[in-house]
Amino acid sequence: MITFDKVNKKYGDYQALADINAEVKRGEVVVVCGPSGSGKSTLIRTVNRLEEINSGAILFEGRNVHAPMSRREMNRLRSHIGFVFQSFNLFPHLSTLENITLSPIKINGVKRELAREKGMKLLDRVGLANKADAYPGQLSGGQQQRVAIARALAMEPPAMLFDEPTSALDPEMVGEVLAVMKGLAADGMTMMCVTHEMGFARDVADRVWFMDAGQILETADPETFFRAPKHPRAQRFLSDLRH
Amino acid sequence: MIGDVITIIQDNWLLLLVGQYPNGPLGGIAATLILSVVSIVLAFPVGILIALARLSTSRLLLWPSTVLVYVARGVPLLMLIFWVYFVGPLVVGTRIPGFLTMLITLVVYEGCFLSEIIRGGIVALGRGQMEAARSLGHSYLAAMAWVILPQALYNMIPSILSQFVSTIKETTLGYVINVPELTFAANQINNQLLTQPFEVFFLLAIIYFVICWSLTRAAILLERRISNKRAGRGGTPTPPALEARALTAEP
Repeated sequence: MITFDKVNKKYGDYQALADINAEVKRGEVVVVCGPSGSGKSTLIRTVNRLEEINSGAILFEGRNVHAPMSRREMNRLRSHIGFVFQSFNLFPHLSTLENITLSPIKINGVKRELAREKGMKLLDRVGLANKADAYPGQLSGGQQQRVAIARALAMEPPAMLFDEPTSALDPEMVGEVLAVMKGLAADGMTMMCVTHEMGFARDVADRVWFMDAGQILETADPETFFRAPKHPRAQRFLSDLRH
Repeated sequence: MIGDVITIIQDNWLLLLVGQYPNGPLGGIAATLILSVVSIVLAFPVGILIALARLSTSRLLLWPSTVLVYVARGVPLLMLIFWVYFVGPLVVGTRIPGFLTMLITLVVYEGCFLSEIIRGGIVALGRGQMEAARSLGHSYLAAMAWVILPQALYNMIPSILSQFVSTIKETTLGYVINVPELTFAANQINNQLLTQPFEVFFLLAIIYFVICWSLTRAAILLERRISNKRAGRGGTPTPPALEARALTAEP
């Protein structure tokens, strides 16, 4: 569903992504892990073109995201890719429900009443139906991130990308966000997650990609990856995590 | 002295309020307020457009808007007024009324200053909001309209209001091209009385002060109301801000 084909990205002389070849299959949950600066966030941000690439192609449902296209097509394509940020990026001037309904109403032309109805269902799904009229400033970090997930889901994307969704959270709030993500995975959502939550990777992921220095050094199912990582860099990374 | 001021008000209140109207053009406080309000209302969209042009990657938009803003910031308002007053009629080939001259100048001048305020507000938001909106599928302009500008403009309300207050004060310059606004009216009174310039211009100062001060107060109240709404405190007042003394006093 998401295919990386010889993707290269440079910042000046610095090779941020080096010849990435990989695929996320429909319904699959892929966790991308690796040390900081390894290119994980850059990789996930290239999928909806928040970052441009220098060469290669990224196919989303068979379409090259980085092919020349009109702005209209670009926006349409982006609306099919759910993206959740480390820093939530909720719209602080809108209530929780308005955050969720804004895009379906403005982009898809969904009727206001219908959008609100669907929005309430999504809020219920992330366990925040009672916060519909609250503003983001009144929510905890964990609650904000759950709203951000609901906001992305409101566009009914076939795949969701998570860029370190729990890294900005206090430890006690990580669980509630991961629980929502687990629920999504159980419903069969295609997911690509950059995360340091190895417990989540172990329990939920179908594949783990280990990255360092802009390359995917190892891909494996979590069972194998955590028990017997092959690449020495991955072994060191996992042993550093345990200490 | 206060007695003299009151007498001046009693004798000239209509002139101060509306100028020669209905026997001549509308003037006085009415003209000052209309000129200020209309120019700020028109300058506002102009300011947004210039700000967007200044943030654009297209040179066709970036360069002219940048030149315009730099000229407006680098030249005294009085000079701009003279330019429009003397050059404007040559360009359009017909006489331009003083009120319109002043209005055009103020819209351009205030538009440029507002654009810098608005641009600052947009830049200060950081890129997270824009990225979030774009990744949901909004176009650049839609993201601006629904996500970025509502926040940037709100955050800039105090600066925008203070710009409005200075616009009111800048309308006094209309006096030099015979726009019959409040200062013009006061000067007429002074020319009739001849012996009471202090009283007349004291009165003038008071009027300007009351208008501008109440606007500043209104701005503060408006700001509090919105931030209370955002914080979900309904109508309850925000706790008073720390006094400057508390922040600077030696511990």
